[in-house]
Amino acid sequence: MRLKIIRRKETRIVNVILLYVIGIAVSFVLGGIFLSSLGINPVVYYRDMLTIGLIGNYYPAKSIEGLLKLFVPLLITSLALSLAFKMKFWNIGGEGEFITGAIFASWVAFKLGDSMPRIVVILLMCIAAFISAGLIGFITAHLKVKFNTNETLVTLMLNYIMLYVIKYIGETKADWNFFLRTDSERPVFARFPENAVMQGITIGNFKLLYSVLASIAIAVIVYFYLKRTKQGYEIAVVGDSVNTARYAGMNVYKITVRTIFLSAALIGLAGAFAAATSGTISTDITNNVGWTGVIVAWLSRLSVPVIGVVSLLISVLQYGCQAASASYSQIDHNFADLMQGLFMFSILAAGFFSHFKIVRTGGKNDD
Amino acid sequence: MKKLLSLIVASVVMCAALFTGCGTAASESNAEAGGAGASDFIVGAIYINSQNDNAGYTYAHHQGIVKAMEALGLNTETNLKIRDNVPEDDEQVRTAIEQLAGQGCDIIFGISFGYINAFAEAAEEYPDIVFCHATGYLSNDRNFNNYFGRIYQARYLAGIAAGYKSLEIGNNNIGYVSAWGTEYAETCSGINAFALGARAVNPDAVVHVNEIYTWGDQELERQAAEVLVSTYGCGVIAQHCDSAQPQIVAQEQGVYGCGYNSDMASDAPDAHLTAPVWNWNVYYQLAIETAMNEASAADFFTNIGGNYYGGLNEGMVDISPLTDNNAPEAAEAIELARNLMVSGEWDVFSGTALVFSGEAGSVTVEQVSQALMDNEGNIIVDGGQGSVDDSVIQGSMNYYVDGVVAES
Repeated sequence: MRLKIIRRKETRIVNVILLYVIGIAVSFVLGGIFLSSLGINPVVYYRDMLTIGLIGNYYPAKSIEGLLKLFVPLLITSLALSLAFKMKFWNIGGEGEFITGAIFASWVAFKLGDSMPRIVVILLMCIAAFISAGLIGFITAHLKVKFNTNETLVTLMLNYIMLYVIKYIGETKADWNFFLRTDSERPVFARFPENAVMQGITIGNFKLLYSVLASIAIAVIVYFYLKRTKQGYEIAVVGDSVNTARYAGMNVYKITVRTIFLSAALIGLAGAFAAATSGTISTDITNNVGWTGVIVAWLSRLSVPVIGVVSLLISVLQYGCQAASASYSQIDHNFADLMQGLFMFSILAAGFFSHFKIVRTGGKNDD
Repeated sequence: MKKLLSLIVASVVMCAALFTGCGTAASESNAEAGGAGASDFIVGAIYINSQNDNAGYTYAHHQGIVKAMEALGLNTETNLKIRDNVPEDDEQVRTAIEQLAGQGCDIIFGISFGYINAFAEAAEEYPDIVFCHATGYLSNDRNFNNYFGRIYQARYLAGIAAGYKSLEIGNNNIGYVSAWGTEYAETCSGINAFALGARAVNPDAVVHVNEIYTWGDQELERQAAEVLVSTYGCGVIAQHCDSAQPQIVAQEQGVYGCGYNSDMASDAPDAHLTAPVWNWNVYYQLAIETAMNEASAADFFTNIGGNYYGGLNEGMVDISPLTDNNAPEAAEAIELARNLMVSGEWDVFSGTALVFSGEAGSVTVEQVSQALMDNEGNIIVDGGQGSVDDSVIQGSMNYYVDGVVAES
């Protein structure tokens, strides 16, 4: 007997839903077995995880704020990556572009934060991040179209370059280094001036940051950009076939460079939001959204509304696992990561089986 | 295929039913236990590495907190909330603090230096919670202090052991594998104290420092130790890094060593002399007890006596028991030096040096006025003058004393 993977001829929506339900159920049961082996009641754990620890919480508003702080960068990054992926341009440089945006935003914050009104400072931070990260995108797109370089390698390597740049800034105590606290003997990033910190609308105890509203606006704009504009259509055509685009008289260079500039610039903007929300930067500022965003974009099949939902679900999963690891003494961060991985893997597997199926083929050397 | 599917679905439904059943029962009993518990004081902790580590910095703190809570009769299963593997990123530390605060923590410890900004802010935002930050320098005069220990005192004692060993084996070269050098006062003061201890016994001793530029990397620690033995001919290897690799190298190469953080005698039974160790539980017990017994978190800073910098006297730092590998005079000399420090009569970085002499059984110590010099010939403290400030030892010390040579 042999097993063979073949593509499904048709995918019925009922089947797809059933597969995802099974995938999630399997991960719940597997996780439940792990949890039970640690002496933890899985149902209580899952309740705490899925409600992000809100039950019995002394500061529930803070939990929602914390969740949104994970959600905003992930949403924007996933949207931006889907722009590039639609064109079959494999931008896996989200981490580097995010860091670039954060560094340039904080440059503006430290230099101008004291001397300008808040709205101006925040806007300048966003513009600086948008352009600087966009330029990184421009370089990779230019290299790809002009010299046919492999964009996967270029964007991947740029991640490491930017990571080491921010590490260098964070660990080098020197007179020129205005990023660091001046009163500390050890190098540590300083706080932004008050005018460079992201504000929001206060509703009771809860503070709805403007970055949340901005990220939703960006999602709506990207949706209409892809669906309703000529440029969105061009992206789809180039993604389908570069030659078709050429025959249709499209300027492939211009379209690629413009789209990847936009993709990287939006990720940089997410970096600026993260820096402004945090009020400082760090080498861990990305929280891995450059990678998680790739997963979100693919899980969502590059559909903007689905990206919104999946980003939110993954943020719930992340925040919920953290909250649960805080409330159970047996659960450490690694275990919480394991649970997250279990869920992601099951969902990805369900996605796979909605497109492919395993069939038995009777071979002659059957034994 | 259909059969398999229905089987999976059926088992899932069954499991779900089972879990819901025991779920409600367990949560009820939890609620009861919470209400009738001996103490509802909840301790929160934020770690840089995993709470399940079995060696190193986070491990030492976790052991300290658990030991302190057990001594105070607090349940570490229910009353200790931990967020571990939290990187030094303000937003992530803030989230961790919010999650612990949400769990009802009354006191929150942060063990890594880079948590400093988030802790300072949180102390203002949550005035009812006590915040304690290890290795930092910020505090407020209400609910936020910082804590560390005079580990340099223990380093001095380990230096004495190393000095006697170097005399015994007739090799003045002593090696020191260090995470960092003069960049951090924490490493720098440790190296200096160790060198002063060694040279109080053997004035010709030279401490060769090999820096690895990271707080922990087993492979680099190993290589650095090997270089100290093979290139610089060191006969004793001391260390300021996370793992026991330098001691294991000492064992392999047939030389001697002083570990750090915990007793490393079991890693290198034929090489280990003694290791400067931390007793973090001394501070944790004091802090938790102070916070438990006070009416308001705002009194914490006053009640605990400000920022904490305990030494040999408080038991916050010590050395592990001397092994049989030590030279015969070491134990007596160390006892003499320890008494001088515990009584407060003398301290390491002062214009008075200790000089030890005599055979085993009749070791004596003499205090001589002698300027504290750096290795470039500058005077740090004039002869006969008192110790440098604590703030220098903790924060701004960035020179090596006479007898230290940086090799990397």
